[in-house]
Order: sequence, then C-alpha cells, then structure tokens
Amino acid sequence: MLMTGEQYIESLRKLNTRVYMFGEKVENWVDHPIIRPSINCVKVTYDLAQDPEYKDLMTAKSSLTGETINRFSHLHQSTEDLKNKVKMQRLCGQKTASCFQRCVGMDAFNSMFSSTYEIDKKYGTNYHENFKNFLKMVQTEDLVVDGAMTDPKGDRGLAPHMQKDKDLFVHIKERREDGIVVRGAKCHQTGSINSHWHIVMPTQAMREEDKDFAVAFACPTDAEGMYMIYGRQSCDTRKLEPNADIDLGNAQYGGQEALVVFDDVFIPNEYIFLAGEYEFAGMIVERFAGYHRQSYGGCKVGVGDVLIGAAALAAEYNGAQKASHIKDKLIEMTHLNETLYCCGIACSTEGYPTEAGNYQIDLLLANVCKQNITRFPYEIVRLAEDIAGGLMVTMPAQADFDSDLAVGRNGETIGEVCNKFFAAAPSCTTEQRMRVLRLIENICLGAAAVGYRTESMHGAGSPQAQRIMIQRQGNIEGKKALAKAIAGIK
Amino acid sequence: MKCGVKFCGGCNPHYQRGDAYRRIASDIPEIVFEHAEEGVEYDVLLVIGGCTACCAGYDQYTVKDDVIKMWSEDQINDIESKLSSKL
Repeated sequence: MLMTGEQYIESLRKLNTRVYMFGEKVENWVDHPIIRPSINCVKVTYDLAQDPEYKDLMTAKSSLTGETINRFSHLHQSTEDLKNKVKMQRLCGQKTASCFQRCVGMDAFNSMFSSTYEIDKKYGTNYHENFKNFLKMVQTEDLVVDGAMTDPKGDRGLAPHMQKDKDLFVHIKERREDGIVVRGAKCHQTGSINSHWHIVMPTQAMREEDKDFAVAFACPTDAEGMYMIYGRQSCDTRKLEPNADIDLGNAQYGGQEALVVFDDVFIPNEYIFLAGEYEFAGMIVERFAGYHRQSYGGCKVGVGDVLIGAAALAAEYNGAQKASHIKDKLIEMTHLNETLYCCGIACSTEGYPTEAGNYQIDLLLANVCKQNITRFPYEIVRLAEDIAGGLMVTMPAQADFDSDLAVGRNGETIGEVCNKFFAAAPSCTTEQRMRVLRLIENICLGAAAVGYRTESMHGAGSPQAQRIMIQRQGNIEGKKALAKAIAGIK
Repeated sequence: MKCGVKFCGGCNPHYQRGDAYRRIASDIPEIVFEHAEEGVEYDVLLVIGGCTACCAGYDQYTVKDDVIKMWSEDQINDIESKLSSKL
C-alpha cells in the first residue's frame, strides 16, 4: 500500500530514532528546522507517486507481490526499468534541487537481491529468502531504507583485521544461535535518520582474515544500540534564523548525512544476508556502486536542470540575457548536463539480467557516468557563478531588506537602501533577484552543495574507484588487437 | 464519450503537460475526461508525453476505439480535432 507524504512523516514520529546534533540529543527531530527540509525532500518521493502526472515513473508493479509499489523499492525487471529509474531520479532532482536520499536503499535492494542468490547457490545459505521476505515487507509498507556501505576505515593502508581499533569497520562481534551482534559505524549516511530501516553492507572486498567484517544485514533505524550523529552542512544554521526564508535559497528541501553508530546491535537470523562469506563482499560492493554510479546520471542532472534555470533567470534579472556569451554559457551548461543524462541512460540501456533475474547496469558505462559526474557539475557551478555575478555571495541578509531602521540623510531605511541599490532589470523585483541568487548560492556553495558538489566527487566512490573499474572493464587487450589488425601487425 | 488520460512520468517535459490536459478538457466539455485506471473501459485513451519519446505505457488499459498520443503543446489543436471527430 502506497503511503502519502503526510503518512510518511507521521510514520517517522513513531520511531524511537536516536539523533544527536551540536553535542545534544534532538528529541523532536522530525520538526527540527535543520532536519525538516531533508524530510520534506523524501516526502516528495511519496507525493509524486500519488500524482497522475508522475506516477508512471514513480511507481512499478512488484516482481515479488504483483502489487503497485513505489519505484524506489522496485527490483529492476528490464532495461526499461533501469531507464525509468534514471528518469525518476532526474524528476525528483528537478522537484527538490537537493538529494532526495531514497536511491541508496533502491540500489542496495537490487545489489543484495542478486548477490544473496549467488551466495546461497554456493553455500546453501538462506540469505536470498531472508532478503526477499525483508523486501516484501518494505514494498508492502512503502518504507524508506538506507543503504549503508561506507565504513570509517581508519588507516587506509591496513586491512580491516589489521586495524588497531576493529570498530573502524562494521564487524560481527558475537555469533549466537538466533543471530549476530554487530559493532562499528557507517559514515556519510545519506538520509539515514529519515529511513525506517537500514541495509548494512561491507565497504570493500575482503579476504579470509577479514571474514568477520564481511557482513550484511537489515535492521530498524531505531534498533537498540543504534544512534546517529548529524552531519553539518555549509550555512546550516541559517535554517535556525527567524525570517530567513530568502537567505536559505531553498527553504523547503535539503539533503542529510549522518554518522550511524552500531553499538552492539543484535541482528536476528532472518535479517542476515551475509555473515562471513568474505569472497562475496566485493560482489556486493561492485554491484551497489554500479547502480549508485548510474543513479547520479539522473539525480544530479535534475539538480543541474534547476541550476541552469536559475542561472538563466539571474541573467534575465540582470538584463544580460541577450548577451551572446551568456547564451553560450547556458548552452555549455545544458550540454554538460545532458551528457551526464546520456551516460545514465546508456548504462541502463546496456543492462543485463543477473542470475537472480533482476537487471544490472553496464558497469563500464556506469563508471564512465560517475567519472563525468566528478567533473561536470563543478564546471556547471563555475558557469552559474560566472553568470550570477559576485552578488550571490556579497548580498545583505533578508533582515536588511526587511529592515525599517532609518539610516539615510532623508530617513531612508536599510530596506529602502538595499532595494534601491540592488534593483536591476524592470522584469523583476529586487526580492525575486535575491531569491534566485540565493538559490544559486545554495546549490553552488551552500547547504545543497553537499549533494551537488562534494557528493558528486565522492558519493558512490571517489574518482579513483571509477578509474580502477574503467581500467578493469575497458578491454585494452581487445583494443590492441584492433590496432594490430588495422596496422597489419601479426 | 469517456476518455482516459495517461501521463508519462514527466522526467523532463518540454511543456506543461497538466496545463495542456486542462485546456483540452475545458475546450471539449462534451467529453468526460478522467485519469486512466485499469479495469475501466474507455472510448478513447489520451496519452500525454512530455517529449517525443512519449514513453508512457498504456497496454494495461481497456480502450474501445482509439489511443491518441501527444508530446508537444503544438499538437493541442490537432488533438482536439481528433477527439471532437469521435463525438
């Protein structure tokens, strides 16, 4: 049964999720002004699924139950499904101009579904059935699930079992007849607080000595022993200021990351998907990363659409929209953005069925997609800042524009002075100009830059991780053979 | 006459699909328009795509007469003519 957006928010209130921020426990985190925009963002994934104009993308028929479900909990059944995933993400990016957080769960579902099938095939374990039962619950109850992969990792030169502090990788601390006890943490967890459940996966390929670190499982977000420490974002405390709606740039939506701590959390057997079969840790990582590198060919493109629109508006409000260099910069931004979309669509089109039956993206093209994502949004941001002008970072506060304090020789107020000196083309009010410049600031270097810039760099793996995959998948030997044939080299 | 309406998912529409639909519905009040649902029989199905791909799936719907597809606001007049001709 699909939840409405409002039902989703109410469902969060029922959880006993433990959230800490600025050194204190946040009791009512659902209504906290720093957190709420990120909840609103996830809510959009529910609202759009109810809207006839968007439900064709936002919903799908479950391969497990036959019911209509939110596409964010769908197992991809075809290349068409893979393409629709990217399109849905672009749509959600356009509607929120932020990270809407729900794709990590979707990517975890699809990687765990196929991986558990292959683990069971080798070891006769029951992980696939466990996972299917879990996913049926997620689909039926329309839940948000965080796909948690990134461990703190400590000394990068040492394997998990060599770390001085073993907790720097999530690991099995105790094996019991009815389950396992896990300890450790996951960093940078997008939307973790806004999720009903977590799927925890290994962070890297493991060797036999690391088998206690080769663990995957599901647990409720408010499980005993689990808590989150909220990640700061640039300009985050603007959200605490009164009457700063304009200064926020995007007052409604935002992303969310947190450190998620597992302080001896018990996981019953039915929620375990990997517990020591170390040679499958790499498969899970590779598949999850592949899907997530595809994802960025949709979500970042949607945010890019908003940024391009904002830059075009800023030019118009400055009266500069007819300048040929402005037109050319907007063309370049569009070219870069659509190139990213091409990559997302291409790796989907070239997808293939796994042994378990769901569809996997083309790994080479997904890695090329993400490699471009580590670059193009930065250039799009540079061009947006070029078009916007310096005012996007030097403009007085909304409180100044609203101020009645008389400061001029003739009694002019601060507000009147600001409105006089920051007026531009007659096509806009000063407030409209402020709003669009603050939106550009928000995406380029404010709170949303977490999602649009640094997440583009490091999310779903840092650039070097893609380059390793591109090297492995790039078929250089095949290319050498082509060159030899043309050159007549025997 | 009953016309089911199916929107594509709207990932990057080149025009306001909802506005186009509302204009068509208001220009031809003789036709009953409703969002298409499975298991309901329609005389005509109007598929409103946001771009030339017009990718919305519609095999699941029961349509007696015709499926009419649009993907641009430039087509509104043609679509209205086609729909009106079926009255």
